[in-house]
This record gives sequence, C-alpha cells and structure tokens, in this order.
Amino acid sequence: MFKQVLKAQWLAARLPVVLLALLGFALPLLTVTSGSGLANAPVERVGQWLFAAQQVGVLIPGLALLAGLLLGIGAWAPDHAGKHVYALALPVPRSMFVLLRFAAGVTLLAIPVAALGVGALVATLSVSLPDGVHAYPLQLTARFAMAALVCFAIFFAISIATKRAAVATLGVICGVFLADAILASLSIKDAASVTSTVFNLLTNWPGPLSILMGRWALFDV
Amino acid sequence: MCRIAVALFTLGATVVGPRAEAQGAAAGTARVRALAARAESLEAKIAKQDSLAKLRRYEDLRARRFSAGDVTVLVPGVVGEATGQRIADGARRYLDSLGAVPPSFVASLVTVAYASAGWDSVLRADGLAARTRIMAEIPAQPDSLADGWIVAARIVRAYVERLDPAWRSWVPQDLSLGFMKGRDDAAAVRELAAGDTRAGTECLGGRAAACRAWLGVDRDANPYTARYTPAEIRSIVSRRMVEYLDVSAQQCVRGSDDACLRYAQTGGVSPVPAGLASVRSVLRAIRVLHGAEALRHALADTSGAVGERLARAAGIGEDSLVTEWRAWLLTGGGRPRVSASARDAMPVLLFGGLLLLAAARSGRWR
Repeated sequence: MFKQVLKAQWLAARLPVVLLALLGFALPLLTVTSGSGLANAPVERVGQWLFAAQQVGVLIPGLALLAGLLLGIGAWAPDHAGKHVYALALPVPRSMFVLLRFAAGVTLLAIPVAALGVGALVATLSVSLPDGVHAYPLQLTARFAMAALVCFAIFFAISIATKRAAVATLGVICGVFLADAILASLSIKDAASVTSTVFNLLTNWPGPLSILMGRWALFDV
Repeated sequence: MCRIAVALFTLGATVVGPRAEAQGAAAGTARVRALAARAESLEAKIAKQDSLAKLRRYEDLRARRFSAGDVTVLVPGVVGEATGQRIADGARRYLDSLGAVPPSFVASLVTVAYASAGWDSVLRADGLAARTRIMAEIPAQPDSLADGWIVAARIVRAYVERLDPAWRSWVPQDLSLGFMKGRDDAAAVRELAAGDTRAGTECLGGRAAACRAWLGVDRDANPYTARYTPAEIRSIVSRRMVEYLDVSAQQCVRGSDDACLRYAQTGGVSPVPAGLASVRSVLRAIRVLHGAEALRHALADTSGAVGERLARAAGIGEDSLVTEWRAWLLTGGGRPRVSASARDAMPVLLFGGLLLLAAARSGRWR
C-alpha cells in the first residue's frame, strides 16, 4: 500500500522534488564560490569568507520552509483535485491513509535532504580550511532534515485541516494581533507585545520553530 | 546821564547778579540730588534683581533626588523632573544589563552631579547622609546625556576602584559598559584578527592556550616572556615615536632583545596583548552566557589568576571558558556552530507527531 501511495505522490510532486534537490545540492556549493584555498590565507580573507559562508547559510532554513510547503501541500493536492474519491475507495481507515501520505511525503523529503548532504560534502572536500575553522556537513544536513520535517508537518496538517480548524487557526493569529492593537491603544507602560511573546515562544527552544533559527553555516569556528 | 546809566548798571550787576547765580546753583544741586537718588534707587534695584537672579540660579542648581531601583542620583533642579528620572532609570538599566556591580554596592552610593548645590542638606533631609557620595560630571542642560550612562559609568568606576589589584590591572575602568554602549564587538574581532602577536593569531585559529596568553588571564611569573616574543615587542615599539622614548626603547628598535624586554617590563608595553575591547568582550560573554551572578562572583573572587576566577564563576574549565568566549565573539554572540543534537530534535519530533495526530483525527473527508 505504501508503495502505491508513494508512487502516486511521486508522480504528483516529482517536479518540485527535483527542483528542491537541485537547490539543496547547489546551496552548500555557493559557500565555496568565494575561494577554496584558505589554509594559508590572511586572517582578514578568512573572516570575509566565513561571513560569506554564514550569509549563504541563511538561505538553508528558507529552503527547508520551501520544501515543507511544496511537499506538505503537494501531499494532498491530488486528493483535493479528485474530491478524495481515491482515498475513500481504498480499503484502509482514514488514520492509516493519513499516516501513509505522511510517510510518503517524508520519504520524498529525504531526496532534497540527501542532495543537500551531498552538496555539503562536496563543498567540504573542495576547500582547504585554516586552523580553527571547521566544516559541519553532517550537522547541517541533519538540521536541515529536522527543519524540513517541521515545515512539512505544519503544511501537511494545514492542507488537510477542516474549515473549522482553519478558521480557529486564523482566529488565534488575528487574536494575537488584536491583543497587541488593544494594548497599544491603551498606552500601557511596559506592556509586553503579545505578538513578540508568541513569536519568541515559537522560535526559542523548546518552541517548534526553534530549529529554523540559530546558525546554519557549513563552515564555522 | 551817562554816569547815571553806568551807576545803575553797576548796581544792577551788584544786586541782581549774585541772586541769579544763587538761584542757578540751587537748581543744579537739586538736580544732582535727584540724579544721585535715582542712581541709588537703580543700584538698589539692580542689587535686588541680582540677588533674585542669584536666588533663582541657586534654586535652579539646588539638588533634587531621583531614584530608580538601587540607584540614587542628585542632579540640579534645572534638569527637570522627567530628565532627572530618565537619568536614574537609564543608569539602573545600564547597571542591570552589565550585571557586574552588586546591587548592595549600588545601594550604598549616591551619585551627585558637580553642578548641583545644597546636596548635603538634601542628603541629610532624605536620610542618605550615611551613603558614600561619588561626584559625577552630569551636564545641567536637560536632555544632554540624559540616558544615565555617565551615572552608571561613575558607579562602575567606583566599584572597580574597590576590586583587588589583580582585577584592577586587568579590567577596564568601565568593566564592559563600553561594550554595551559602543557595541565594540567588531573592534574585539579586529584586535584578534590584527595578528600583532603569535598568541592572538593562534587564538584566532582556535588554540585555547594561546587565547589564555593573549587575554593575559594566567598568572605568569614573567608575562612578557610568556605572552610576547622580543620581535613582537619590537614591532609594537617601532610603531611609536621612538625618538621621544627612553634608551631601552631605542635599543629595542635597533635590535636588542634584552632591551625590548626591559622596556616592556618598565611599563612600556601592556602585559595583556589583547586590547580593551577584547577584555570587555570576555566580561560581556560571561554575562551573556553564564549570567550576571557568575560575573559578580568572579569579580568578588580574590584567589588565583583572573582566568581561574572567571572559570570558577562560570563553572567550567579555563580552556573551555576561552574557547566559549572565542566562539561567542567570532559568531557575533550567536550559537557556536550549526547544531543538530537530540535537544534540537525533541521539539521537532514532538510537534511533528502532534500535527500528524491532529491530521489523522480530523480531515475534510470525515
């Protein structure tokens, strides 16, 4: 059953998957475009190079978000188009079908993750690093995998959510902004911003989006 | 006839002339008196106005007390309520953020602006006479430097003056207050990357022992031989106006290694190769990574070398401390490097599982 679901999902999402794999492979290689022979380079040049590597690193969580978005929504796109007739015709409970879709999506997600891993490895092997600077291809790939998984789970759940759940989510988001607007209109001194508090909760550990934050450089001290 | 006319004229002149003169003199005297009286009145008026102005000036300068947390500051009245409070609030914020000065020490002080008058009576009236008074140059103009920085810096300097000699010779006068104000982390990186000494270059490369030497945190019997080579001292000296320096400096530049060491040991070169920005960054890193309490403990510690005190307060080894500082500095205060630990994975798996559960339990075709 998994094979069939995976095949159907691959046929529907192969273009985004290939595109994401290409981007995943290319991004780490961008890091080494500004030079590779750094073992005896002047300190200033190493500093600039590290800075450039960090700038490229910022794009990687963006790629994770894109991968999660495309594959998460793409996982349900054929079902939405076919009014879920295919799913309803299958002799499996709904929860099992959701699990199969999720597993198939995660399997497809592994392709851009692996591509990024290969790209990071190639970039690491192509550069001679000075003392004190290290490459982190494995950590970067693992972190990318986790970030992509979170994003995929979010968009996967949103995509299949009921209208009531969508309205509730939208309501919570609007409520947060409304609370901020009310606090601002009351001019309460030292009142904390609700939006920034919620954002901090989500993006600081153990917040679910904390994985997207932090450092993403392939080469670092 | 002619004689009669002459006689009459003479009589007239004799009788009428003096009277007219007398009349003119009397009028003049009255005028002078009036003028003198007027002058006196004006003088009195001016004196009165002067004394009023002085009084007003005194009132302008009369000390007013503002407090924020443990910070108490006396500023001239002319500074105004809002600005005075802003100075006190700002000083408290700076000190809280710095975290190095114990609150009990701050509470034992009162900072008085030089320009304020009658502060002693204000202190007595407010029951603050027992506090240690420190003077600060706070401009009387409202809004000028009113963010409390000057007060905070003065309090920090008073605290540094009380530290033990090992600390006083290592920490800057403002501890790391300048690091917060000037955001000079870039300056610290530049100092490290400048490559003036081998210790600095190796520290940049990641060797912990070199970082310790560069920061001068170990208690070396001879810091100059442990942290510098004669060539490095020569390089530092040769960038100065050698003709104005002493003989040992000139001999150093001419190639004498002994002279270089001699010149350095007489105070010509700092025993700490790192600059002030780097030392400030160490204190700031301790504050950020281990909290204000750790920094306060370190500064209150008086046993062992500076590095041992810092490491003890942070609860880690000396090498770990300098490695942590280096990564903190070079990454702009961020996480040391990309991480993918179980700690990172836990929220991801938990949240992913929850979303999957939610998706399985409710859906559009249910």
